[in-house]
Amino acid sequence: MHSILAVDDSASMRQMVSFTLKNAGFNVVEAVDGQDAFEKAGKHDFDLVLTDQNMPRVDGIELTKKLRSSPKFKTTPILILTTESSDQMKQAGRAAGATGWLVKPFDPAKLIEVIRKVVR
Amino acid sequence: MQTFEAHREHAMPLMEAADLQDSLLSAANDLERLQTLLSDACATLLAGFCSASEQLRQLRPSAGGNAPPAVTLALNNLDGAAVALQFQDMAQQLIAHTQRRLRHCTDRLAIDAFSSEDDGDAVLEAAPLRPNPVVQDQMDAGAIDLF
Repeated sequence: MHSILAVDDSASMRQMVSFTLKNAGFNVVEAVDGQDAFEKAGKHDFDLVLTDQNMPRVDGIELTKKLRSSPKFKTTPILILTTESSDQMKQAGRAAGATGWLVKPFDPAKLIEVIRKVVR
Repeated sequence: MQTFEAHREHAMPLMEAADLQDSLLSAANDLERLQTLLSDACATLLAGFCSASEQLRQLRPSAGGNAPPAVTLALNNLDGAAVALQFQDMAQQLIAHTQRRLRHCTDRLAIDAFSSEDDGDAVLEAAPLRPNPVVQDQMDAGAIDLF
């Protein structure tokens, strides 16, 4: 079973993402912000990271940079799921090493389709 | 450079400034209440949504076979509701951004209208540096870009 790290500072979004992923058969670990995610990433192995962008302490782009600097997450797909839709932010995400940029709100079926496409 | 006295001559009358400040504070407090109401309502909606989805999924045959049409229809409707249920996250970000703007205006008004030269440096809530991150004006599913 593939394991996904789901990162969002909004409890309702975490619940919705987690519910959607578990229903599709994924194992899900939740993190409340980028710092929490980075700490959990150090302790467990994940097949994919799905992170929000605007979060306290460490945001999604910063988390992506930190994860990419670790050999363990060099090739792990990282998807940023955010309300931000500006090209400037997308480019910053891409430059940080994100695999994809998804704008909220997400459609459960499309989210699962994208995850299955990028996860190994 | 404008002297303090010259600045005060052009400043808003104190009573008007006080009324305006009250209105801004009242709007900020209302937004805070709205945020609490949204959060409480959404927690209940989500709990009901997840529980109903779980119960319906258990009605599907475990291996092969088709679920009764009513179950499939209900599950499809719940998938549609899953998009709309994400409104709270957007609403909270919008409210938080607007509250920061209102507090900045309130502080700015207080400094301009009520402070004297002897007050020293007043504390000013910083205006948001970036535009509002939430630009969506409807609850359609967002775009997906794979790099």
